[in-house]
Amino acid sequence: MTPAVEVRGLRAAYGAAVVLEGVSFALPPGGLAVLLGPNGAGKSTLLHCLTGLHRPAAGEVRLFGRDPAALPAAERARLVAVVPQELFAPLPFTVGEIVRMGRTASLPRWGRAGAEDRRAADQAMAYMDVLELRDRPFDALSGGERQRVALAMALAREPRLVLLDEPTSHLDINHRFEILQLLDRLHRERGLTVLLTSHDLDLAARFGERLLLLDRGRLEAEGPPRDVLDPDRLRRVYRCDLRVEFDAAGIPVVRPPLPLPGAQGSTRLPVHVIAGGGSGGEALRRLAVAGHPVTCGVLNEGDHDARTAAALGLPCALERPFSPIGAAALGEARRLLDGAAAVVLCDTAFGPGNLANLDLALEARRRGLPVWVHAADIAPRDFTPDGDARGRQAELMAAGARPWSTVDALLQELAKPA
Amino acid sequence: MNRRLAGVLLALAVPLALALGLAAGPAGFGWPDPTTALGRSLWLLRGTRVGAGFAVGAGLACAGVLMQALLRNPLADPYVLGVSSGGALGAAAVVLTVGTGALHGLAMPLGAFAVALLTLGLVLLLAGRAAGGGPSLYGLLLSGVIVAALLSSLLLLLVSMATHEGLRTITWWMLGSLQVHEPAVLVAGALPIGLAVLGALALARELDALTLGRSMAHHLGVRTRLAVGLGLAFATLAAATAVALAGLIGFVGLVVPHAARAIAGAGHRRLLPAAVLGGGAFLVLCDAAARTLFAPVELPVGVVTALIGGPFFLFILRRRRGRGWIE
Repeated sequence: MTPAVEVRGLRAAYGAAVVLEGVSFALPPGGLAVLLGPNGAGKSTLLHCLTGLHRPAAGEVRLFGRDPAALPAAERARLVAVVPQELFAPLPFTVGEIVRMGRTASLPRWGRAGAEDRRAADQAMAYMDVLELRDRPFDALSGGERQRVALAMALAREPRLVLLDEPTSHLDINHRFEILQLLDRLHRERGLTVLLTSHDLDLAARFGERLLLLDRGRLEAEGPPRDVLDPDRLRRVYRCDLRVEFDAAGIPVVRPPLPLPGAQGSTRLPVHVIAGGGSGGEALRRLAVAGHPVTCGVLNEGDHDARTAAALGLPCALERPFSPIGAAALGEARRLLDGAAAVVLCDTAFGPGNLANLDLALEARRRGLPVWVHAADIAPRDFTPDGDARGRQAELMAAGARPWSTVDALLQELAKPA
Repeated sequence: MNRRLAGVLLALAVPLALALGLAAGPAGFGWPDPTTALGRSLWLLRGTRVGAGFAVGAGLACAGVLMQALLRNPLADPYVLGVSSGGALGAAAVVLTVGTGALHGLAMPLGAFAVALLTLGLVLLLAGRAAGGGPSLYGLLLSGVIVAALLSSLLLLLVSMATHEGLRTITWWMLGSLQVHEPAVLVAGALPIGLAVLGALALARELDALTLGRSMAHHLGVRTRLAVGLGLAFATLAAATAVALAGLIGFVGLVVPHAARAIAGAGHRRLLPAAVLGGGAFLVLCDAAARTLFAPVELPVGVVTALIGGPFFLFILRRRRGRGWIE
């Protein structure tokens, strides 16, 4: 059977910025799939590629075996309907007029809408519980009502495939379930294929037959909810300490990170962060947001992390751009370390120029300071000629440094009483 | 008000306005006697004037509806992309070079029309492309405002160099006048406006969809680049022809579309005929008032549209407010 949606080696870009790379998947007709991923992962762009709104830079897109960008516009519109994140009409259309616009592709150019057009529009409005709003001005509706009207507009077209961009984002909890139940029923009874994007992992787990997880433009995982919602994978993709439990029906439920222990406003440990090249961005930001007095260095001026630290107002020991760490900067870093109660080492690349930073960490550890070392393997980022960075890290671990892998876990550990 | 009733009233208002327009004039109110030479020339004079009023009013209202839909902006009017400044500059240039002699009856409209079209071309060129192809909305608005400001200062420069007689001609032209010198000019003007109205009607479904934004229109099956391009072309054709025929008549193209929405709704299949008929009838009535209120002194019709139309439309707007047809 021809898949409803087939994507092979899709690459999409806005100018030089690549948004999707090497995305391949296929959805069988009549399925309900949910496209997940953090902000900026490329979900909306993927939808736009499916409707021919955005031309892929490479790869193929097929809807029921046909290329949406090459289909005549009206034919494409009868095949696939799109529900946008937000529908906005700057002129005073009524709800009924908006829903009927869903059938633009089949309305006659001259003359009134036909009986079939009106029947389909009425039925869609009844399904979406907006029939009573039909003569109300669209711009006077609430966000949730507008979203239901947008859905009715898509259904009025009686398409074979519906793409929905976060259809539940403005809905209250009863309408959220109602809409997903309706989509569920439509795809079961009428063989409608549904692909929706969502930030709601639990709803996705509950209604999605297949989940697609996008991360920074790549398809990270695809399959049934149980397989895709793997806690390690979610932690990596969402960079957040998520946990996955299973409810009584065996459906995965995703839990947010635990709140940090410790009373509100209690003092937090001063932390010195060793980073570089952007490896410390998240740690610097979140440690500072959590209330830790943060210092960092040694960094080269103009380095990504140096700019982050400057923007956050964090004290930082600086060396001139592209120069190996010299005595002055080292002295400054030692002075900063004197005020620190813990040292955090990020997954920074090391070379002869910044090897001194590892020595600093070793010194601090030998003075008895807790040192947290990023757990990622150091070998691929060790650019010292004789593997000195590897050696220093081994010494650090031997001296009692401890590994960390997510900032969430690190924050938990730092908040524990010493 | 019931929509059907409103439609019937509008359909009755059109012949009524035309009859009033034909009966009104500084020579006195009433039908001229067609058996006398004076009566025949009065018929011709009033006939071309009423025809010009209807065509210009219809064209401005049609262009206003198109611009508001294409730019997704209820404040857009036929002049928003610089057609008025361009037309005025063209007319002024003709007055300065050709003079105010017998020729200007034809040369001024032609000059105004040509420069108005050139202006829109320049605005389109400067607007830049939107992500999905086609001109970007904000680019259009911004470059329209900038080009209009530029041309206005050029116009002021020309005005400062004009003779006393030329200055008077330019000023009167900018105030708007429906006195067309030749019936042939009226025919030449009515044809492009008629074409633009028909074209706009053919695009009614596309205009509805484009109101929801270009991506949504694309999803609904509209060939957006083609539809936006055609819509802008029809709007410019109607607006430039109206400017060439009658100078700068404000207000009609901005407010008649809104009043027509109150009667016919926002859907363009009904809105366009309502706006076109309403705009034509409204301008004919305003012109009849301009000729008779202070006869034998004639008021500039552009002044009357705002003086009469302002309070009238404010009244409609206040009644409709809260029913959602304008924020």
